[in-house]
Amino acid sequence: MRYRWSALIALVAAMHVGTAAAVERGGVMTFGRYADSLFLDPASTEVNVDIWILSNLYDTLILPSDDGKGLQPGLATSWSFSGDNKTLTLKLRDGIKFSDGSPITSADAKWSLDRTRNPDTGAWASLYESIDSIAAPDPSTVVINLKHPDPALLPVLTAFASAVMPSKLIEATAGATLADKVKAFAEHPVGSGPFKLQSWKHDAEMKLVPNPYYWRMGEDGKPLPYLDGVTFEVIPDDATRILRLKSGELDASEFIPYARVEELKNDSSLNMELFPSTRIEYVALNVRPELDGKPNPLANPKLREALNYATDKDAIVGIVTHGVGTPMTSFMSTATPLHVGDKPLYPVDVDKAKQIMHEAGLDKGVKVTLMTLAGNEDEVGIATALQQMWKEIGVDLEIQQIDNATRTAAYRAGTFPSRLSLWTDDIADPSEITSWALYYPAVQSFHTGWKNDKAVEIFQASQKEMDPAKRQEEYKQLQEIFNSEGPTVPLYETPYPVALAKRVQGFNQLPLGNNLFAQAWLKK
Amino acid sequence: MLSIGYVLKRLLQIIPTLVFIVVVTFLIVRLLPGDPASAILGDKATDAEVARLHAEMGLDRPLIVQFGNFALRVVQGDLGTSTAVKLPVGRIVLDRLPATLLLTVMAAFLALLLAVPLAFVAALRQGRLGDTVIQGCFQVGLSMPVFYVGLILLTVFAAGLRWFPVGGYGDTYLLHLYHLFLPALTLALSLAAVLMRNLRTAILDALTADYADFARAKGLPTRVVLFRHVLRNALISTVTLFGLNIGTLLGGAVITETVFAIPGAGRLMIDSIYARDYPTIQGLTLVLAVLVSVAFLLTDLVQASLDPRVAQ
Repeated sequence: MRYRWSALIALVAAMHVGTAAAVERGGVMTFGRYADSLFLDPASTEVNVDIWILSNLYDTLILPSDDGKGLQPGLATSWSFSGDNKTLTLKLRDGIKFSDGSPITSADAKWSLDRTRNPDTGAWASLYESIDSIAAPDPSTVVINLKHPDPALLPVLTAFASAVMPSKLIEATAGATLADKVKAFAEHPVGSGPFKLQSWKHDAEMKLVPNPYYWRMGEDGKPLPYLDGVTFEVIPDDATRILRLKSGELDASEFIPYARVEELKNDSSLNMELFPSTRIEYVALNVRPELDGKPNPLANPKLREALNYATDKDAIVGIVTHGVGTPMTSFMSTATPLHVGDKPLYPVDVDKAKQIMHEAGLDKGVKVTLMTLAGNEDEVGIATALQQMWKEIGVDLEIQQIDNATRTAAYRAGTFPSRLSLWTDDIADPSEITSWALYYPAVQSFHTGWKNDKAVEIFQASQKEMDPAKRQEEYKQLQEIFNSEGPTVPLYETPYPVALAKRVQGFNQLPLGNNLFAQAWLKK
Repeated sequence: MLSIGYVLKRLLQIIPTLVFIVVVTFLIVRLLPGDPASAILGDKATDAEVARLHAEMGLDRPLIVQFGNFALRVVQGDLGTSTAVKLPVGRIVLDRLPATLLLTVMAAFLALLLAVPLAFVAALRQGRLGDTVIQGCFQVGLSMPVFYVGLILLTVFAAGLRWFPVGGYGDTYLLHLYHLFLPALTLALSLAAVLMRNLRTAILDALTADYADFARAKGLPTRVVLFRHVLRNALISTVTLFGLNIGTLLGGAVITETVFAIPGAGRLMIDSIYARDYPTIQGLTLVLAVLVSVAFLLTDLVQASLDPRVAQ
């Protein structure tokens, strides 16, 4: 019954949109990117430049909803869990085909997911840890057997890494090993998504054209996509990318620097879009009692609390993001499902911070070191602001500018004193960031060494909790614990700034970053 | 005029240079702090993934074995496979080099086209208005950073006047030339400034030299004196300077390629360093080193033909 109602609402909504602006077909949309993709393989890629456009080439069994927080049918039209929640059965859509016209079967889905969940071939295997085995009993049925109930499984199946690839074609590609076959296949891929790759000149231009066999229907009752193609142009320099958009040579330009968002908002020929994102920026504080054989001042929770109250987030939002960002209201972004909180964490209160320092016997002051990325404008901006703010409560902040490889090594080894960190979710579920933030057995809480037994216990329970209401309650508790005691100084979250020419309609970027062109169209 | 012996000697000298560069590049990328596998994978990678990539990149083997494998492949003409884009390095470099070469050659040509006539005008009008204006303009050009000059040219001549495209490289040979004009001019301006000042001084020296006085005393027309005697002698030091600046030009191409969105070798180098893509960094460095060595060789040969004493 509920399903029928939602279908009716969707229909009414579609009719409403239809009357507001009838979609027009045709035209090639040119999109200016800051960097090119590297290797378009859903299972093994680790980088956003690949991940964020993969969903145009490959579909998943279940698709993310348009706001990125929910689910909608993809290559599978329906799915259901068994009574013990340990078996998920998915039914494939009738007549679906890859971009070469060959049928998409459950064997392709099984092969693809098996490659992704295998740690030897899949970079994201840990997300699929709950899967015990996958079966394809008939060409249109996929059965996923689980080791234990997994509430994150459905969102994980919408992620880029769950893409369905043509197994027979890849196995038949020349190459000594599977890795070699995938490399060769990636040069001329055949996909299941709305577009297919037409040509690719690395670091210059990538052309996508419609997949003629795509199943999804547009508002006009004909198959998507509406566009005749998408051309990505790689323009690393921010100023040039904007200049090209302004002179009409591009239809869209991604990653507009925060400093220029206001200017482009006032440009009548453009739509300056700020798509909600899961991107957050925070300071991670190492709480281990000793660092380098010396006592670590940040092991004292009082000092960490004082640093939080001494930090003026609004000022940092103003200085670094030019007002584009907003202070964090929980350790996860507001765009992450099950986020709780409507008030900024630790509103600035220097007197309170001083009081806490006094109570902790730190009147004489302490020295803290912060690792920042050399040459990164945002990080240097934040670090110098923190230096001034923390000085007021007697904290002498030493800024250590180093390169990413060095910092990552110190971070992973748990030997960093404190660092600036940036995070974006990869699945539309809070479990990924939460396992990183507070589930000590995973990565020792953002590698800080912070451990809260209660949080670990609740998280473990939440990972098997299939009752949405109970899981929501668990996440509320987890956020309360981390937000009051966690080893970070939360700073801000920022949207994705994309500038579009006025004629571009229907382009969408999900909170996870995926750029979606299937429903984009150009007004003539 | 040039002895084959001299050319051969110069060619042989290139070989130890290249060996040296190969060894140094191999070592330098490995001296960069931080583990490349974890740098490539980033903060979110698990230890197992880092170990897997480590093995894939061959970094778990002793340094000497790694170098042996690398050197053996280079001798066979195989530069390895990029760890970032998973394509053969030779193919990537061949794909990206033409844009940079064309850009550099065009820039060098434009720089000479600007520097030589203006140096003459400035020298012949020494201390007068023409000289001051030319020197002043070049001084300003020299003081401005390359990316800034590039952005100004883009804003005025591409976005504003629409005479040129706003960056990019184009699909055909003619379009390449059209697209590369502004970036080449950007690069040429700073080189032209250096060359012009040097040539102007050299011309002034040559004009007052005894042989120039003698030529004039013989009754030769000024044109002949200027081109046959003055220019030829003044050019010797400028050619040296020009050759030395080829490397700088290639370095400047990195910034210009970024500003003008040209898919060239300069940008490839920067991207590869950030990605810790060892095979690409090594392969590209080797190819660029060969090119710079050839450029130096040509410079020497031109110089030797201008001034036979050099070859002795």
